[in-house]
Formats: sequence, C-alpha cells, structure tokens
Amino acid sequence: MAHIQLNNVDLEFQVGAKRHDTLKSAVRSGFGLRRRTEARTVKALKGLTLSIRSGERVGLIGHNGAGKSTLLKVMAGIYPPQRGTVVTEGHMCPLFEFVTGFEMEATGWENIRTRALLLGMSPREIDRKIDGIAEFSNLGEFLDIPVRHYSTGMFVRLAFATSTAVDPQILLLDEVMAAGDAAFIESARKRMNELMLRASIVVFASHGLDVLPTFCDRTILLKQGRIVADGPTADVVKAYAELSAVKA
Amino acid sequence: MAVAAPGEQPARSLVTQEMQTTIRDVVRSAKLWHIWTRLGMQDVRLKFRRSSIGAAWIFVNLAVLVLSIGFIYANLLGQEPREFIPYLTIGMILWGYLTNSIVDGGNAFINSEGYIKQISLPIYVYIFRFFVSISVTTLITMCAFVIVAVIYRVPVGPGTLLAIPGLLMVMTTSLLLITIFAHLNARFRDVAHMASVGMQVLFFVTPVIFPAHLLRQRRSMALVIDLNPMYHLLEVIRRPLLSAGPAEWHSYVAAGLVIVVLAAVATAVIAVFQRRIVFAL
Repeated sequence: MAHIQLNNVDLEFQVGAKRHDTLKSAVRSGFGLRRRTEARTVKALKGLTLSIRSGERVGLIGHNGAGKSTLLKVMAGIYPPQRGTVVTEGHMCPLFEFVTGFEMEATGWENIRTRALLLGMSPREIDRKIDGIAEFSNLGEFLDIPVRHYSTGMFVRLAFATSTAVDPQILLLDEVMAAGDAAFIESARKRMNELMLRASIVVFASHGLDVLPTFCDRTILLKQGRIVADGPTADVVKAYAELSAVKA
Repeated sequence: MAVAAPGEQPARSLVTQEMQTTIRDVVRSAKLWHIWTRLGMQDVRLKFRRSSIGAAWIFVNLAVLVLSIGFIYANLLGQEPREFIPYLTIGMILWGYLTNSIVDGGNAFINSEGYIKQISLPIYVYIFRFFVSISVTTLITMCAFVIVAVIYRVPVGPGTLLAIPGLLMVMTTSLLLITIFAHLNARFRDVAHMASVGMQVLFFVTPVIFPAHLLRQRRSMALVIDLNPMYHLLEVIRRPLLSAGPAEWHSYVAAGLVIVVLAAVATAVIAVFQRRIVFAL
C-alpha cells in the first residue's frame, strides 16, 4: 500500500553564504581563503509530522513562503531533511513543472521519450502510451521537427500531454500543475482530473481555494514551516480564511 | 522500504540510515541505465546537431592539432613522423578524455541542477550521464586513430587487443574523476578552474607531445615520468595500440593504484556530501 510518513522533519537552507559562482566573486573573496561572514540559516520546515495513507487526496495551503513547495520536495526525496525521517512507499511522481528534460534541438518524439523516462515510465510503458500522448498533443507531423520551431502553445501542449501520461501511485503536484488553473483548456482539465483519480495518493499545493473542496477530503494548512491545521478541507479552508483576514 | 521506527531516533542510527540511503541511491542510479544512456547520448548528439558536418568536427579538431603539433615536434625532437604522429594522436585523444572527465565532468551536478531540483531521480544518474557523453565522444575520436594507424602502418596483432583492459582501466578512472569533481565543484565552484590549470601543467610534464625516452635519457628526469600517474594511464592503452604488445608491468600496477586511490577518494566524497549536494546547487 502506498503511504507517506514524515516524523519530526526539520529542513534548513543556508542562505547568504557566499558562493563562488563567478571568477570575480572568487577573486574578491580571496578564492575562498577569507571566509564568508554572513551565512544565515532559514528554517523552511519545523518539526513536521504527518502521515498520508493510500486513497487520500491531500491539499496543501498557506501563504507564499509557508513551505508548501518545500514540503512537496521533501516528500519527493529531493531535499533530505536535516532532522527527522521521511518514509515513502509506492511509485512516486512529482509534477512541479512540465518541461525539465525538454531539449530545444530535439524533435517532439525524442522529447516525449526523454521526459517520460525522467518521470519514471519504463521504455515498454512509453511504447504503449506514446501514440496516445501524440494524439492528445494534437501536433501531428510537427512531432518530427525540433521543438525549437514550436510556438509556445504547441510546446505547452506537448509538455502537458507527456507529463500527464504517468501512472504513479503517489502524485505530487505544485499549484501551477493543479487542476482548475484557468490557463488550461477544458480537455486539459479533464485529463488532469483523470490523472489525479488514477493515483492512490495525491498531494497538491494550491492557492485556488475553490478547487480544494471538490477534490481533497483533507487539507493541511502551513504557516512559516509549521502545520497549523490538518483536517477536513472545509474546516481548514475556513481557518485559512480567518488567518488571512487577521493578517489583512 | 523499511518502516520507520516511531518517535525520535538517536543521532547515531540516523547517520547509518543516511549511509544506507546513499548506497541504495548509487545502486538505483546504476540500474536506471536506460535513462542515463539516453541523456548521455542525447548530449553527444545535440552538441553537433546544428553544425553542417556534425560529429566530424571532433576529427577536424584533432587533425588540425595533430598535424600542426606533429610536424613541428617531429622535427624539433628529431622523431620519425611515421612513429611520432600515431603516438601523438592516441596521446592527445586519451589526454582529452581525462581532461574532459575533470573539467566537463566537474559540471555534472551543476549543469543538472534543473533536473535534480524538479525530478526525484537519485542524483548519481547525472554522474553516469556525463560519463556516457564524455566516454562516447572519446570513443568516436578513437576512430581517428584507426585512420592514422592505417596511413602510417602501425603494427597490428593479437597484442593490440591488450588495449581493451587498458581502456577499461582508463574508463574506470574517468568515472571516478567525474564523481569526485562533480561533488567538489558543486560545493566549491573554483575546483574545476584549479583542476584545469593543474591539467595544463601536467600536460607539459607528461609524455604526450614528446616521447618518454627522450626525457628518460636524462637520469634525474626519469622519476618525473615514473612517478607521473597520468603517464601510466596513457601507457596501458597507448603501448598496446602502437606496438601490438603489453605495456610495462609497472604501468599496470601504477594504473591499478590510481584506481584504488581514486575509488577511496570518491567513496569519501560521496559519504561526506551524500544527498546534501542539492543544497550546494
């Protein structure tokens, strides 16, 4: 059974630490011999404990910088926490954006394969699905030419069609990818909903409060890296509205 | 996957747990070969896609270098072009391989930042990706040596096949160098620059554009060659290809030692940084 379990997770970022990205900054700091001064620690997540079981659809809400995206990346195993443990079981697919892995010089077909592999599909699975992806993208023979020649709209269609063809047990979505985004046409929304229904666990970070009740039975409210509310969506959304009102 | 024990865990077991995760990540990465071979091959293809002569640039590059250096140095050092040009060609190819492993391979994590932060693949996939692209580029370049070998009638025999174990040793070295420098360079961005300067110095000390025996003739200089690990790494491939026989035994020993030392360093570097490399990007 798919599940996600976080125990007392703390995540910190070192910011302000001078990195020698350029030769100029390297020279200025004496090639790192003179030690940097203002290294600062930002606590992005503080003592998070939560458990998500198979069948749950969980929304994450909170203001910008509350830790929604960071929490998703911890669940995805991208950021290892400094303290605490993260245990996940089940094939996981983070969809935070569409385009990582796309190469402008490669053709549409090549990009479908690369992107699909990166999302965890097996070559055989890709063979099975590639025609469906091509059909949804509605790009026809444009798939034979490099993506560089595509219009923005064509590019988005291809990226979306490929990314939404996954069949993960655990689906992690960031707000730009979540259903209900006004930018998507109706068929895209339908495809997104299908994807979310296929997964046994969906966690998605959202600003669109109207989408949450229709899709998530459970919602977690984050504030400054802590969980301040975790429960039925209606209650938590109300708590969030109050929080926002107090702030305003 | 193991189920976590409930509650707070003592720090010690957390460390070993991290080590276990890291080891599992390395193994998982290796198993995802269909991903890193595809990404690596794509890198090779894309490098030349929009140029009119494509991968032939690799040969043009090498040919210009070998011809210009070759005839000047053959004269300068009193060498037969018939022996010197093939020697120079294979030397330059292998030197390029090791240099690229350090300088380009040092960017394995930095250039993959977008992937590492968006996709939950184990990070060592990107080490293998760079290993594939750098190695495949080198293997393509090796074809240039075949042409040179035919033109200059380099002896061929069963002994030529001894270049294969040599090649495996150098490829192992390349993978280890990429691992080490990808980690170090992600954390300390100056490392690749420093290494590149170091390689330039080594280039003039190592017998690539001059034959080893010329330097050996001066007694005091023999050590410069014998203690130079780069020389032995070149020799385990160069000698079988040029003479259809094995390199000297101490070259194999030295190359083996280099691999053991680099493997220890690579293990240490992985153990120190583990998955935390993402915070350095």
